[in-house]
Amino acid sequence: MTTPSGRIARAVTALLIVLCAGLGTSDGSLPRRQLKRAVGPSLRPPAGLRVERPRIRRRAPLYAPDRVLVRFRPDVDETYADGLLRSYGFPAVRRIPGIGVYSVRTAAGVSVTETLAMLRRNGDIELARPDYRARLADVPNDPYFLNYQYNLRNRGGILDISPDIQPQTTAGADIKATTAWDVTKGGAETIIAIVDTGVDRTHPELVSKLVSSGHDFANNDDDATDDVWHGTHVAGIAAADTNNAEGIAGVAWNCRILPVKVTDATGDGFYSWIIDGIIWAADHGADVINVSLGGNYPDPFLEDACKYAHDKGAVVVAAAGNDGIALVLYPAAYDAYVLAVAASDYNDEIADFSSFGPEVDVAAPGVWILAPAPQWYVGDGFLPYLFGSGTSMAAPHVAGLAALIKSVKPDLSVDDIMKLIRYTADDINKTAHPGRDDYAGYGRINMTRALAPYILK
Amino acid sequence: MRDGRGGIRGVLASLALGAAIGLAPAQASVAGLKVESLAAGLFYENLSRTVVWKGDTASSKIQASLITARAELGFGKGVVVGLSAGLALTDFKGLTFTSLPVSLQYDAPPLKGFCLGAEAVAPLVKLSEFEISGTGRVVYSFGMSKTWPLEGFAVEGKAAGNSSWVEASLGPRVSYLFFGRVLPYLEVSARWLGAGFEMTETLGDLAGTETKRVRGDFSFSVTLGVDATVTDRVAIKARGGILPFAGGVDSLLSLGVLYKF
Repeated sequence: MTTPSGRIARAVTALLIVLCAGLGTSDGSLPRRQLKRAVGPSLRPPAGLRVERPRIRRRAPLYAPDRVLVRFRPDVDETYADGLLRSYGFPAVRRIPGIGVYSVRTAAGVSVTETLAMLRRNGDIELARPDYRARLADVPNDPYFLNYQYNLRNRGGILDISPDIQPQTTAGADIKATTAWDVTKGGAETIIAIVDTGVDRTHPELVSKLVSSGHDFANNDDDATDDVWHGTHVAGIAAADTNNAEGIAGVAWNCRILPVKVTDATGDGFYSWIIDGIIWAADHGADVINVSLGGNYPDPFLEDACKYAHDKGAVVVAAAGNDGIALVLYPAAYDAYVLAVAASDYNDEIADFSSFGPEVDVAAPGVWILAPAPQWYVGDGFLPYLFGSGTSMAAPHVAGLAALIKSVKPDLSVDDIMKLIRYTADDINKTAHPGRDDYAGYGRINMTRALAPYILK
Repeated sequence: MRDGRGGIRGVLASLALGAAIGLAPAQASVAGLKVESLAAGLFYENLSRTVVWKGDTASSKIQASLITARAELGFGKGVVVGLSAGLALTDFKGLTFTSLPVSLQYDAPPLKGFCLGAEAVAPLVKLSEFEISGTGRVVYSFGMSKTWPLEGFAVEGKAAGNSSWVEASLGPRVSYLFFGRVLPYLEVSARWLGAGFEMTETLGDLAGTETKRVRGDFSFSVTLGVDATVTDRVAIKARGGILPFAGGVDSLLSLGVLYKF
């Protein structure tokens, strides 16, 4: 007769055997698959058994799993607050000096959600929040990004343009580009057509970004080389070669540029050239068409061209105009098919030159914007960049954002992209004009709100 | 806001469970099988599964806590069928909806819903002090829905989500009979999970719907459990297990008490 301890030992042995057998058969994968690979491809499992899985990476938690931040109401005494937190049994409580916030380690086995729910029930506590995870935002290594491109990330301070132009800027008066770049930097398959004065095809910030030599409707050839400067500047704002340790950053890092020249050497053009240019761009795969020019007069043919591009799936973005009057230029004024862009400045104020009207959809920075310029234009001894102002400079920010949206959400319709850009804007002049208005439209674009996930709580 | 269908399903589930409990224990028969015993009780279960939703490149967790009322019908030859119904709290943290106009990331408290379950254990062979049984189990959670306001935009917006999931498992159970009233066992189960989460977003006149699915995520679990007869009328059932996957381990836990009629 076996003893009870002997039976238990037998039982444990038996359970281990069952466990090992179970692992060997129910998973049915790892050991066998490794063996079959080792002995050669002829023993691969039949194709019908093959399981393709997406590459799995763990999504990092949004906040610390064992810590919360707490602030008491102003009338709560510090000693009382300390004692109260300790009475909850938190293993560690640390006061962050200066702002009266406590970092609290949650009790073992109690989740952040449960801890927050418990703390929020206490009337002495003003605010209890998760300790959110932070990370380095994607900051390009382009040397002028940090100090000159307030339009993309404004850290406040002086914008040192020249000895006599040194405006004070406001931190945060920007389009929130860096955190949006964490989501996407755009794809090379997304094309932004620059319907303008052409593009400097040799500029180091643009040479690798061009889809082709484009088309010149002023001279009717396939060489859309810029002989003003304007188109080069506009193209660079939208999609300059970025993170190349040179010059500036573009809004849409990886998207490409299709140059379309619709002006002559003086910078003037005709509606027919613009019409041709918009249609040509739409027919040559443009996902976004930037038109940083326009005229005072409505024209049904110009409107038809915009409708054609819109219906072909291109987001058309145009400058509102620089006359500072209640007249939005055409084609920007074609509300159904075109996003009309006003200009804001380094303090999130609307530029006094920015034209206004009910057709204005959004605003974007358009005062002292640093972007590429042809070397021949700036002259020898100068770097091939210049500071430019105008709604012409504002529009390509929006074009770049539209291209980024197209890159990550290719199934969104043109109308939906236009609405998304409008509705995610910051109402920068809400004190004087709350809600949509004729000066900033829905507000200055906010790339992060348009691209980064909204967190449901 | 709970949808009407979820409420109806909950009522039906309650009725089904009530009907099961209402069966006369000794005389009733189900599908020609004679019911020899009946027990009813309450159970708490917790289950976590790491899944990759279709179209995602990152994994996220589905974590569910279930509180159920259960009826167990004992048939001849040791066959036991359990039916359960109750409430479910399911956490979908980390789930993202990137095809909507404004991408959404779920970081909300768990969603409340209902659940229905069925479980069967059938002895197959007895070897000395050991008994090998076949076990099968299915749990269906449904009726989870909620609406969130979308704040900070130029126009008013909201997001509405609703979700359901079903998990089925099948595998052998080896029980050790030596202790009599305390029955420890080991189960190795193949597990299948299907889940769906539909999110609808409205931002002014901009709207979109995205449905995330997990179609047949297979895993396996190793579970240790114990069925303990405390008195002639009262029994406690407990079990805990792990579900290993590449790079981690999920877990399951179940604890319940049954009253035998």
